[in-house]
This record gives sequence, structure tokens and C-alpha cells, in this order.
Amino acid sequence: MRASFGLGLAILTVFGLVPAIGVAVVSFTDIRGLPGIPVSWVGLENFEAFFSRAHLGDNLNALRNTLVFAIFSTVFQIGLGLLIAIVLNKQLKGRNFYRSVVFMPTVLGVTVTGLIWTLFFNPSGGPAASILSVFGARSAFFGDPALALKLVIFVQVWATLGISVIIFLAGLQSIPAELYEVSAIDGASPRQQFRHVTFPLLAPSMTANVLLGIVNALQSYQLAYVLTGPINKSTQLLSLLIYTQGFGGVPGTSISQTQGYAAAISMVQFFLVGVIALGTLAYLRKREARL
Amino acid sequence: MTGQSTVVVRTQASVVETATTSRARRPSGPRPRQIGSYVFVAIVMLAFLFPLAFLMNTALKSNAEFAGNPVGLVHHPQWGNFAEAWQKGNFGSYILNSILYTVAGAGIGTFIALVLGFPVARGYLRGSRWLMPLFVVVLFLPNALITQFQLLLRLGLYDTRLGYVCMVAAGVGVGPLLFHGFAKSIPRELDEAAAMDGIGYWRYLFTFIVPLSKPALTTVFMLQAVWIWNEIILATVLLPDQSKAPLTLGLFNFQGTYSNQWGLLAAATVIVAAPLVIAYVFMQRYLVAGILGGAVKG
Repeated sequence: MRASFGLGLAILTVFGLVPAIGVAVVSFTDIRGLPGIPVSWVGLENFEAFFSRAHLGDNLNALRNTLVFAIFSTVFQIGLGLLIAIVLNKQLKGRNFYRSVVFMPTVLGVTVTGLIWTLFFNPSGGPAASILSVFGARSAFFGDPALALKLVIFVQVWATLGISVIIFLAGLQSIPAELYEVSAIDGASPRQQFRHVTFPLLAPSMTANVLLGIVNALQSYQLAYVLTGPINKSTQLLSLLIYTQGFGGVPGTSISQTQGYAAAISMVQFFLVGVIALGTLAYLRKREARL
Repeated sequence: MTGQSTVVVRTQASVVETATTSRARRPSGPRPRQIGSYVFVAIVMLAFLFPLAFLMNTALKSNAEFAGNPVGLVHHPQWGNFAEAWQKGNFGSYILNSILYTVAGAGIGTFIALVLGFPVARGYLRGSRWLMPLFVVVLFLPNALITQFQLLLRLGLYDTRLGYVCMVAAGVGVGPLLFHGFAKSIPRELDEAAAMDGIGYWRYLFTFIVPLSKPALTTVFMLQAVWIWNEIILATVLLPDQSKAPLTLGLFNFQGTYSNQWGLLAAATVIVAAPLVIAYVFMQRYLVAGILGGAVKG
């Protein structure tokens, strides 16, 4: 027992926990992407650099993009997810097929999803461009700085909506049918039923969905990377900044970057995620108790 | 918290069930008030299926046809696009890499979930109850891209298949937590009976617990396998050597090279997406179970 337990724990510790805790340690050093270069402690220098005038513009931009991305993708994911779950909970013909379709992007992954939507939003002759041209308009889509982040949010919602729908469906199915029957006898309209039966009893699913959604959205950047590249200012997210600072954004140019600074960005992001997640959790728990 | 959680857990089975078996019993056509629902569903289906259909349509177009008619239905399907994309993109070797990483990584990850989850659920090792919070902590670790790179660099595992497999294997996600929850549902009497018969721990674990836990272990494996199969950032950072790249990276690089040959690019995307869509049909119920389990406990 000890041997197998120790083996499992060792792999998890060495390759999972050590890098995670190491980020905090490394963020106080000037470690670089090459072996053999001496590493020295620099104290809070990396964090000072993060807030220094030279970097602050970029970093605030990434911070703002991260918050916009996280808030809007979570709101749309929850709103649309709830709406779709309610409809797919009705006795519709073929609803299992519909559920499967909505959940499918979960397996497609960022590369395939990214390519599908790059094709769709292809400025020269994609379906979206054709629809616009009917109205005499045109757009560069992902190439348009004002639009790029919105489109990445759209694709993110498309890709993760199924998870919200599944969680809401589970919540909906746990609501006893008697409650609807009783409220119908009392003369409640469907709208009132939703307001006074469905919505309060969905509170636990709502908590799970909002928390998962916001934590995931604050940290995910893979779609932005695939759709718009690592160095696009309009879709620069904090995680993407870690990648470009640490590895130069182009594979193979990882040699001279200061990775200690990138690790400091990781810590800033971790702090941000922690504060937002715990704040959201506290609020949602209170809300659950109130409902 | 626990009270609310159990409500969701209990319904988990029924979601899976309705996701796989049809329950439609009503013989008559839709009631008038359901028409709105059907219209809504039709719009949702369009949003999810049209992009895939459009991808397939584009994959069959030649460059000339795409230039003249980028959106319309294909007139002269070029089935050769698939063979050409397969060959030019070198997808054969990328797929082998991806299969290796996914099977090895998710296999090791599932092993970790098993050998940690079971004794911790039982409290068999002294102090192991203390490890339960660890299963939650692994879900909320900071972005460790820099240190993952540094660790492999210093261990001499940078740009090696082994190093990448170790990294993705340690990305266990909700696996240990899910299995921990499942292991509690296995009756303790079974452990005692086996101990009475003198069956060793290892033999007990692999000949009794593993067969009993097949659905749970499959779920743990699938969740991690889907993640590894689609992983691209770690692979970009840890595997600069093209010949070791997984399929995701292969497709991404293919996009860089053939970015204006949409037919070919779409064909390559279909090559990567088709196995996922086919596998999805079989994996769906396990993924649903895994996501619900993780959502409740995480």
C-alpha cells in the first residue's frame, strides 16, 4: 500500500506540486530560460517591474482584457446555458441528441475549435463576411482590434456552453415535479413558477456554474492563442503575457527571456483568481442561504 | 453544502441515463406551445452544427473553387484533399505521438487517482485523511508554465517524450477527487473479507477494486485523456522538436504553413476532428458523469 501510494504521490508532487509552488519561489529570482546561467535572488524586483511605468501600460491592458474576457464569457455562458438547459429539459422529441450536440465542443479542443471559427470568420469569403456583405458591410474580424476580443469571447462561450448546460440540467432534474404541480394548482403562471420554484432551487447549480466558469475563464487563454496569436495587443490576456514573457511568443526563442518576471505575472494572476474566486464563492453561498 | 451536493449527486445518474437512452414516449405531434421550444432548439442546433458542416464543405473544395465560391455548397468534391493534407501535414507521426502521450499520460494519471484515492477514502494510511484537501488544491494551482519548463530543463527531460508525459500525467485535475468519492461507495466489508482470506493489498486493489470501479476509472481516464489530446501550450513549450509534436501542434503549424489554402486546411482540421467526434459518441456519458462529479465536489 505504502509503495503504490508513495509512487502516486511522488509523481504528483514532483511534476504537479513542485512547479506550482516553485512559481512563487522563482518569482523572486532572475532565472532565465537557459541552464547554466547563475540564478540570483532579486527580491521584489519582478513585482516592482510589473507595476513599473515601462510595463504598466501593457499589464493594465492585459488585466483589463482578462477581466472583460472572464466576466462576459461567464455571464453569457450562464445566461445562455440556463436558457438552453430549461428548453432541453422539456419533453421534446430527440432532446438527447440536442443535448449531445451542445456538449460536443467539449471534446473538440482549442485547436480544432479555433480553426473552425477562423474559417468561419475568414474576412475574405467566410460565412460571416458573406452575411455582412449582404448589408454592404465588411470586417477584418480577428484582425480588427475593436472586435477581436469580443469574437474570442464568443468562441469561448460556444466551446464551454455545454458544460454549463449539463450542470444546469442536473440541477433541473433534481427539482421535484410535485412542486410544479402544487404551484400550478395554486394558479402560478410559468413565469411565476420559474421565479419562485426553478430559480431558487437551482442555486447550488448556479454556484457551481458561476465558480467553475469564472475560475476557468480567468485562466484560459488557449483560444486567444490559437485564434489571434500570442502577441496581439487587443486579445492579450494575463496568462498569454506569462507565455510571451517567458518564452518569447515564438517557439524556439526561449533563450534569453527573464522567466522570473513571467513567474511574477503568474503570481499576480493567481492572487487575482484567488480573490475573485473566494469573493464569488462567499457571495454565492450567502445567496444560496437567502433563497 | 453537503446537503445540496447530495441532491445533485443523486440526479447525476439520471442525467447520464437520459443522455444515452431515449425517453420520448409521446406519440402525437408537438403541442402548439412547444413550437417555440422547437424553433429555439433549431437555432441552437444551427449554431453548433453549421460551423462543422461548413468545415466539411470547405474541406472538399479545391483552391480554385474556394476562391470563386467560398461559402456555397461544393460542386466538385475533392476527396483528394484529405490524402494531400495527411501527407503534407505529416499527420501520421503526429497521431502516433498524440496516442502515446494520451494513453501514457492519462494511464499514469488514472493510476495516481486510484492509488491515492482509495487509501485516502478509507483512511488506511496514518495521516492520509489530511491528504483529502490536496485533491481539491490540485484544481486551483497557479499557472506554472515557467517552472514546468525549468524543472524539465534541470532534470534533463526537456524536449523528451518522457518529460512531456510526466507533466501531462501530473495534470490529474478532478481525477483523485472523483475516485475518492467513488471509493467510499465500495463496501468496507469487501476489504475485510479479502484481508481475512489473506489477499494482499496490491492484488486486492487490482483484482477487486479496479473491476468494481470500471465506470469511475473510465470517467477519470476519459476526462484526462480529452485534456491531454487537446493540450497545445505545454507541448509548444516543452517539445520544440517537430518530430515529437502532438497532433494539436501539428495542426497549428499546418495552419501557419498553408494558411491561404483553405480547402487543404479544412481537410486537415477534419482529419483531426473526425476521430474526436466519433469517440465522443462513446465517451459522452463518462464525460457527463465526470463533469458533474467534478462540479459538485470541486
